[in-house]
Amino acid sequence: MIWALVIVPIVAGLLCYALPRSAENAAKWIAVGVSFAAFLVVAFGYGLPDESLRWLQRPFAANFHVGLNGPGYWIVLLLALTTGCALMVTRLPRGRDFVAQMLILLGAMTGVFVARDLMLFALFWDLMLIPVFIVLVAWSPTKSSATAWKYLIYNLTGGLALLLATAAFGIVQGTTDVIGAAPGSLAQISPLWSFWIFAGFTLAFLIKTPVFPFHTWAPDTYADLPAPMAAVVSAVQSKAGLYGFIVVGSALLGGPMHRAAAAMIALGLISLVYGALAALAQDDTKRIVAYSSLSHLGLIVLAVFSFDPIAYGGAVVYIVAHGLFSAGLFMTIGEVELREDTRLLSRLGGLGARNPRLAGGLTLVALAALGLPGLCGFAGEILILTGLYSAGLVWQTIVALVPIVLAAAYMLRLFQGTMHGPELADLPEREDLSPIEFLALAPLVVAIVLLGVNPGPLAASAASHGTVANAVARVETP
Amino acid sequence: MTPQSIIPFGSSDWSAVVPMTIVALSALVVILADLTLPKHLRRPVVLGVAILALAIAGVVALGAWGHPVAAFGGAFVLGGFAIVFEEIVVVAAIFSLLLGSTLGREDQAGGAIALVLWSASGAMLMAGAANFMTIFLGLELLSLALYCLCGLSPRAGARESALKYLILSSTASGFLLYGMALIFGATGSVSLAAIAGPTISNALFDVGCGMFLIGLCFKLSLVPFHVWTPDVYEGAPLPVTAFMSVVTKAGTLAVLARFAYALAPLPQAHAILAPLWIVAAISMIVGNVAALAQTDIKRLLAYSGIAQLGYIVASMAGTSEQGLRYAIFYLGAYTFMNLGAFAVVALLSREREEGSRLATFAGLGYRQPVLAGAMTFFLLSLAGLPPTAGFTGKILILATDVNSGYAWLAVLLIVGTAISAYAYFKIVFAMYGRTTGAEIQRATKPASALPWVGVAICAVATLALGLYPILPSDIVPLVK
Repeated sequence: MIWALVIVPIVAGLLCYALPRSAENAAKWIAVGVSFAAFLVVAFGYGLPDESLRWLQRPFAANFHVGLNGPGYWIVLLLALTTGCALMVTRLPRGRDFVAQMLILLGAMTGVFVARDLMLFALFWDLMLIPVFIVLVAWSPTKSSATAWKYLIYNLTGGLALLLATAAFGIVQGTTDVIGAAPGSLAQISPLWSFWIFAGFTLAFLIKTPVFPFHTWAPDTYADLPAPMAAVVSAVQSKAGLYGFIVVGSALLGGPMHRAAAAMIALGLISLVYGALAALAQDDTKRIVAYSSLSHLGLIVLAVFSFDPIAYGGAVVYIVAHGLFSAGLFMTIGEVELREDTRLLSRLGGLGARNPRLAGGLTLVALAALGLPGLCGFAGEILILTGLYSAGLVWQTIVALVPIVLAAAYMLRLFQGTMHGPELADLPEREDLSPIEFLALAPLVVAIVLLGVNPGPLAASAASHGTVANAVARVETP
Repeated sequence: MTPQSIIPFGSSDWSAVVPMTIVALSALVVILADLTLPKHLRRPVVLGVAILALAIAGVVALGAWGHPVAAFGGAFVLGGFAIVFEEIVVVAAIFSLLLGSTLGREDQAGGAIALVLWSASGAMLMAGAANFMTIFLGLELLSLALYCLCGLSPRAGARESALKYLILSSTASGFLLYGMALIFGATGSVSLAAIAGPTISNALFDVGCGMFLIGLCFKLSLVPFHVWTPDVYEGAPLPVTAFMSVVTKAGTLAVLARFAYALAPLPQAHAILAPLWIVAAISMIVGNVAALAQTDIKRLLAYSGIAQLGYIVASMAGTSEQGLRYAIFYLGAYTFMNLGAFAVVALLSREREEGSRLATFAGLGYRQPVLAGAMTFFLLSLAGLPPTAGFTGKILILATDVNSGYAWLAVLLIVGTAISAYAYFKIVFAMYGRTTGAEIQRATKPASALPWVGVAICAVATLALGLYPILPSDIVPLVK
């Protein structure tokens, strides 16, 4: 059943190409159906028994081992939900091909978060690059597709470092079937090996998240990707790095992870502040969200490297929360662009008067993003900040508060710039959200509120999950 | 003298060479059929006979699995190792023939197919050769047929290609022969088994080994002995290029592996073989960097092949049995992904023009999504990305290099892979990128639909080998 979550979307995506070119709507609704079916399966599938098949016996054991529990569960749930919602609002030329790539991406990313074997993890990690590259190339606003190359070069470098680290890990450990394994079952790795293995994984994770100074691919990519895919990539693909730090870094390579904590916290803080300041200065609305992501994800990096149980719970909550509101933001910005043919704040304005439903949607996701209490962003932030403080990272907590204030500034700037003020005369006038587009935002909004009111299950799942508990325990008894 | 001592070989000796004999004799049948049959029947019958003969040879060779035979006094060892290489040669030859619609003019087809068969039988001889005489015999049989095949095409570059190949390959053969002579001078034997025995360590032997290796590197086109490859690949007809890119390499690799592993127990083996690993490392980097600048798929695949061979040789660093098994696995994976890519090019080829220019691929993602998807898949595999045989193969090579203390090779392999991705994705970019109407060529029917069979089988094999890697067992000992 878990394998079906990976294989069905990929096969469905490939089969989309068998449809006639004009069957864009059919392809779209099939894809929406597949995504929400996946969502339902995941929603009722917590703790489904792991599925495993032998892959390699030598030089190290590797299995097609997948499981649906721990922090990965919530991310898969988020993935299926955001993909379904994003597909509902897809309106692009060559829609059939785009939908197909979205489905392949859904399957590949599901694989990343259900993989319980490092080699399988590496497989899906590299696989999820391909649909994004193809979409960046095929729907590029420029002919040279410089963004696509930038995306590929950055992420492939990370992916290959991950591959080498995985092979080395397999050799020294004898198996790669280790994600979520019991802490005692692993052999001790010599400090030299564990340092280099950790370095390989870390490079991949930092690039993917992204964290300063490896972030420069992200704003370009988000700006050039069509809005539905930008929503999914920013909501879920960027979480792969943080997820990796949690289940691979702290669970399996606790020693070097611990030694790297100071440096990583510094990088996290820089991302946090730099992202927020950069978001304030952007004119392109998609870039505002891209830089705000850099800032928010920096906060999660802090949480992961604080090794505090509360902060870990907060990290999982915030991973999902950020996924929900950034998907919502990209979707609403996509709607704005569809209506006004521009994303530039300097040109936009006054949209709210004629588009109350769109304005309402943007209001809610923007409020969630700036951390309004009662919505999901706040739930994550407060848990992380509490955790950081209780872990003794006092001045870091204080610095981390500043960008949260800035978040209010850039999110309100985004909202005001698009919805309020005078509207330029040369912009087209189009209809408000159609019922379907409105319906597509609804699940995200419901989830944002639900998670804001009751983040307990997510936080608890993080704390109760073996890998995280293991990581935290390791820190307490160094 | 009794007849027994004049021909001191029994039936088991002869049965070991049955597969390659079938292939070699079928070439005669092909020529006869080509001479006698009416015109409209010629090509299908000839092609059918050739493919059938290769398939039978493959099945017969497989039948010898598990019963290693050292035939002709150890000159030809048919064990698991040789069988795997023979299978690779047979498969590659069949696929090359499937692309055969551009193989020479109508009246040349029979002769061309016969040459392919002879060339393949030479490579099959090399697969089991464990003695300098058989090695050279196989190599020359392989090469002589290829010189003619390279010049077949009516295109302008074909004769240049053939001549270049002839001259440089003969030079390499010279190196090889001289090396053999020196080793014979040092050991007093032409058998590879003899060098594994107690050898007098002297300069004669070491220099001989060095020259022998240089000759092999020429044939494998490893950097810095690679300069002939892109020109020859570009000039030769597409099916011949596809054939060369796998069969020549497979045959030569078999010899290289036998030689390197026979040498391994010697105290000076490390010093003699070290340059080989360095050459492999340089090939991975230089091959991929050079591939970046290519706008012709055949040239690109030539350079990519140089790098891929670098990976395979790197897998043998440390001369461990595991490493050899992974090298063979990667060679098998390379066979399918490489021939798959060639099959796609064949499908884009038209009567007078091969579809190997990068511009031919422009907009393919919209015109023929299935073909574009298949090509993307083969390129992913060549780049070592999942979910393909190239990915699994690369992980195995990385692991064995790290395991046997050649971590620097693993790191260079990763660097090479990163560079290569750019070269391969250039084609993906061309297929899916934005194109103006003028660049998109009119979709015309391919000259033959046969390559579709090749594309389908190669795609399935590339996926299956990636998810279920079959590693050859029972491959040692290589010499007896």
